Amino acid sequence: MIQRLQKTCRELLETGKVDVVIGYGQKHPELPPYPVFVTAPDEVGQLVWNAQCVMNLTTYLTRKEVKALGRPAIIVKGCDAKALIVLEKESQIDRSQIVVIGVACQGVIGGHPVDGQDPRAATAAKCKVCDVHMPPGVDITLGETDSGPVTAAWRYSDLDAFMDQTPEERMAFWQEEFERCIKCYACRQVCPLCYCEQCVVDKNRPTRVSTSASLKGNYAWHITRAFHLAGRCIGCDECTRACPAGIDLRLLNLSLARAAEENFGYRAGYDPQAEAVIGAFSEQDKESFIG
Amino acid sequence: MSTIIAETALRELVNTWMGQGKHVAGPTEVRDDVVLYQWLSRAEDLRIGGSPRPRNSIKEFVFPRHEKLYGYKLEGRKIELVETPLPETEQIVIAARPCDAAALPILDQVMNWDYRDVFYNRRRNLTTVVTLACQDHDAHCFCTAVGSGPDDERGSDAMLFNLGDGTYEVRCLTDKGKALFAGALQPSERVGEVGPGPEIRLDLDSIREFLNNEFQSPQWAAMTMRCIGCGACAYECPTCHCFDIADEKVGNTGARVRNWDTCQFAIFTAHASGHNPRSVQSQRQRQRIYHKFEVYPAKFGETLCTGCGNCSRVCPMGLGVLPVLVAMQGVEQVEPSEYV
Repeated sequence: MIQRLQKTCRELLETGKVDVVIGYGQKHPELPPYPVFVTAPDEVGQLVWNAQCVMNLTTYLTRKEVKALGRPAIIVKGCDAKALIVLEKESQIDRSQIVVIGVACQGVIGGHPVDGQDPRAATAAKCKVCDVHMPPGVDITLGETDSGPVTAAWRYSDLDAFMDQTPEERMAFWQEEFERCIKCYACRQVCPLCYCEQCVVDKNRPTRVSTSASLKGNYAWHITRAFHLAGRCIGCDECTRACPAGIDLRLLNLSLARAAEENFGYRAGYDPQAEAVIGAFSEQDKESFIG
Repeated sequence: MSTIIAETALRELVNTWMGQGKHVAGPTEVRDDVVLYQWLSRAEDLRIGGSPRPRNSIKEFVFPRHEKLYGYKLEGRKIELVETPLPETEQIVIAARPCDAAALPILDQVMNWDYRDVFYNRRRNLTTVVTLACQDHDAHCFCTAVGSGPDDERGSDAMLFNLGDGTYEVRCLTDKGKALFAGALQPSERVGEVGPGPEIRLDLDSIREFLNNEFQSPQWAAMTMRCIGCGACAYECPTCHCFDIADEKVGNTGARVRNWDTCQFAIFTAHASGHNPRSVQSQRQRQRIYHKFEVYPAKFGETLCTGCGNCSRVCPMGLGVLPVLVAMQGVEQVEPSEYV
């Protein structure tokens, strides 16, 4: 699989179809992989693919310095591929100028396996409810894997468990979570769909959202972030993975995803033709939740 | 001759300190693989076994991420300033990593070289730091490559050595440390030990030479392309100390506050004109390395880095200081046997 991946990328670079391959490199199996930007055919040897390749590389497609490298090929898992669909829908990428290499994925490692623990126990939460093991809408597919679709009930099981608590308990939970936020904005920076050139929290003439990492300022940030991702978040969970404070942003994202699915029959990143839930108006739209 | 304390007695002592009204912070497990230094409400929450490696640093307890400097009230055209009282509660940080504590004397210099920062100095004076000598390291650790080590005493008032049977040797290094443990220790013949620490070596002189000669090198972009521009590295760094000043107003009252800030954010250098002298992320990464390994050493004679590895541990894209330095030197980061 890795050999095929490297061969494919070598051909793309040699034939000039792409200028750069955005993929994963790894120094040693015991060290996590990291993003690499391969521009020369002779350097494809550093490309790897394995269950540790948890990063969603599509976040690089909208970045100035990466764009300056030229026409890209990018390696994506099924969850990452969903970001491409939203980015294209929002006119952030020209899909015809990108070669997308999809890799069959049976799940990636979500945390650090504890000594002696079955590595699968550390499978990322998103993978346990994944229904895109084969990445959709890609140009080249590598590998094969079978996987049945996941029922909606299972998809939101973590959220259901959370929602079983009383509103007071949930509020106490979020208070504790948000108190740890240091406003490093790793959640924003890692997100492929947080591509604004100027984030609303960086607007300082005048300041719109408190820049303080106080409880109030942290609530303001996280609620702003969640709302801006409503109906757009593809559930790659990169924000949750990136958070150094271990804030469970996944629960917020799941809540918004379910709202979009249940109220509008929309799931972000699945159907390139579907009108974006936030960007479209239909007379059938529910209004019961307004005022 | 040494002095020791049992872990149970140590935990009782923590409760005693809290009973005396002191604030105590230490490593706590937030969830499975997330350990953070946090204020403790009970001694049981303290995670001291093994070598806890919290994702954050202890700088937060002397240099909070958010701090009110003073308040103000507006009445018509009149402005009344309201002083923020200085902190008065004694605080103790326990089971800190030596590489965290070693950052405190480094911060002291910055906070006192031209302006004596009253808030910082007050908190620093109220703080007693008890470190836990490090008996474990991972692939991100490089304390020994920047002049520190697993039992670096800089910034520590007392140091604990895990003797492996629920007992700790306690070395009181300052008067503050002695006062903290007065009457609580047993004499013993047992002496704690640490290993040699991370094996990786860096040539700091050649790094400075690279920095002085290669400011415009295209290598910067290549070495740091994967940086996504968050502040995780700087905010979890024990030595990074940049801050922003903001006014927060609600109705007719408000406060001038100090918040952490970082050179990794694009807005950090944005001019009012709209121009940004650091227009791309590799220039911001370059800045961070320059500050740590050239600017600070030139001014204060030591490195603005204790090799704790927090930056790499928390970087969502596996960057941080060490991968940049090793790329700069063309040396390998880790031998398989070294990885813990």
